[in-house]
Amino acid sequence: MDKKLLIVDDEAHIRMLIEQTLEDLEDEGVELLFAENGEQALEIIQEEKPNLVFLDVMMPKMNGMEVCQKVKKELNLNEVYIILLTAKGQEVDRQKGLEMGANKYMTKPFDPDEMLEIAEEILKD
Amino acid sequence: MGLNTALKALRYVLKRDKDAKLLLENLSKQLDVRFSFQDTEQRWIWGDDILTGYSEQIHFEEMDLGTFYATSPTGKLVLETLQLLFRKEWEKKNIGKEVLGLYREINMIYGLSEMISETIDSKAIAEIALEEASQIIGITHGLFLMYDAEIDKVIEVSSLGDNPNRLTNLKAQNDLIKELILRGTAAIVPPERIPNNPAIKHLKSVMYAPLKVKHRNLGIMILGHQDPIDFTAAELKLLTTIALQSAAAIESAHLYEKGLKEAQEREEAIRKIHDVSQKFVPSKFITSLGKDKLTEVALGDLVEREVTVVFVDIRDFTTISETLNPTDNFLFVNGFNGRMGPFIRKNQGFIMQYLGDGFMALFPGGSQDALRASVEMQQALQSYNKERLKKNRLPVKVGIGMQSGNLIMGITGDVERLDAAIIADTVNTAARIEGLSKHFGNSILLTGVCKDNLTNPEEFEFRYLGPVKVKGKQKPIKLFECINGDLPKLYKHKLATKKTFEEGMDLYFNQDFAMAAVTFQRIFKRNDQDHTAKLFLNRSAHLITKELGDDWKGIELMTTK
Repeated sequence: MDKKLLIVDDEAHIRMLIEQTLEDLEDEGVELLFAENGEQALEIIQEEKPNLVFLDVMMPKMNGMEVCQKVKKELNLNEVYIILLTAKGQEVDRQKGLEMGANKYMTKPFDPDEMLEIAEEILKD
Repeated sequence: MGLNTALKALRYVLKRDKDAKLLLENLSKQLDVRFSFQDTEQRWIWGDDILTGYSEQIHFEEMDLGTFYATSPTGKLVLETLQLLFRKEWEKKNIGKEVLGLYREINMIYGLSEMISETIDSKAIAEIALEEASQIIGITHGLFLMYDAEIDKVIEVSSLGDNPNRLTNLKAQNDLIKELILRGTAAIVPPERIPNNPAIKHLKSVMYAPLKVKHRNLGIMILGHQDPIDFTAAELKLLTTIALQSAAAIESAHLYEKGLKEAQEREEAIRKIHDVSQKFVPSKFITSLGKDKLTEVALGDLVEREVTVVFVDIRDFTTISETLNPTDNFLFVNGFNGRMGPFIRKNQGFIMQYLGDGFMALFPGGSQDALRASVEMQQALQSYNKERLKKNRLPVKVGIGMQSGNLIMGITGDVERLDAAIIADTVNTAARIEGLSKHFGNSILLTGVCKDNLTNPEEFEFRYLGPVKVKGKQKPIKLFECINGDLPKLYKHKLATKKTFEEGMDLYFNQDFAMAAVTFQRIFKRNDQDHTAKLFLNRSAHLITKELGDDWKGIELMTTK
């Protein structure tokens, strides 16, 4: 499996958590990439064309929604699978996120097992 | 942290960490030494052959990770750098694992509080708490106990795992556990003390945490394992958190239940008051005022309505009541009112007031309803009297009088005491008419206004009894007797002699009193219960010798009530 997975979150410990959660994927040849804000994320997405992006919504310098919209609506990178991450209680964003072209929506705190399962499923093919 | 993590960290440094790889490559170039590394499973992580000049087994925390080879002893420097990088990565991985572990806990607690906050049943909350605890903390046994202060007992709400003699143990341990609950602290039980306690002696590891809300201790959560596994402080902290969450959920469930119960009780009380008040103040009265509920009514509310007022009076009440003691008297009146009420309601009327030996009823629908109710009441009394006769009791006779007219219904009183009241001349007149029925000897007496207002007068039979002037009234009132409420025999008689009676009345008004007396005599002779005929016979006889002026119109002046 020669795939790339991008983790976008402005909080270092969340990036670390997701990295730790998806650690096993590295053994299967998935390259984990990281970005700590929206702008960086957009650069990496354009450069590396990751197969899957875990994208935090609440971030400084271009939030997740905007990144999502740019990737899906402007750059038309439809093959990039985007999962939006948002805090519980902000589920109102869900519909908006899906309208922006996000493929999936997860709430934090996320269930690590569920996250790994979803990532494996998406990167399978 | 196991071998797997260490190997992962090593692989990461040598294979995936670009910066680390660059550093190692540059170092080996500068030192002019090549190196390779093979893990314990003979997999090449760096390079692909055994180099000669320098080799070393890499050990880390008593784990064998593999063999490092280099082309010269200076390779040792490369190895030291690699070990430094590896250690850093390994530490990072460990922290990551730890953070992830904590994150799982947070996630669990988050999920738990979400789940139990939606639950309002203590047992369900207890089950969820034990289940979640067992998933995140490795346990084989769990107990969720609550202390019921009312019965001074510890109650098992839920449990996990087998305990061969749990109940008896629990009983024996009641005081001990109660003390533990009231103390309200969390602790890991020292293994050597476990066998002393019959309730937990089948376990090797035990810890507990209180179910605490504010300063109240509701119970305790006890977790255990059949093997000696040494619970950690972190696990105890986790249990404490779960217990606190559960206690809060149970408390709010209790408050919710209590609130719900209180609301239901209040609602029930209000409904009862409403039901009872409806009996005191008829709902028809309230709706006549344009209100739905008694609570909406205010002092001064009033409405003017055209109604028929009916007075019902028990004849010779004193004769009956003299034979009864006060209690039986009350029971008799209640029995009477109970029999009459349905006919009032059935005909869209309501009882405005009970008067001791009778009552006053109002019929907003008019005199047709009022008269039908009156006839039905009289007929019901006839069958009631048959029953009384069998029991050797005196028959109950009632007189009914009615009048139709405008009437003001309203709420009177003061701010502290309200009452439904009606104010109208119609009421006084109706009371007088009822009084006259006694004098004329009729079962039902009504005014000309009442009769004119009947929507279907053919339903009844009447006899005209002439005009009367009642006390305090200037205008004469025409009186009619309705005979449908009379006993069948009397009714038939009055019907058969109706024409004769009318002739008698004509003679009477034409001042031919001799002929009138003869006519009424004829009628009375056929049935001596026709008191009205008897009355006019007496009147006519009395007037024969009297000198009457031209202005005599046969208006009877009634001075008595």
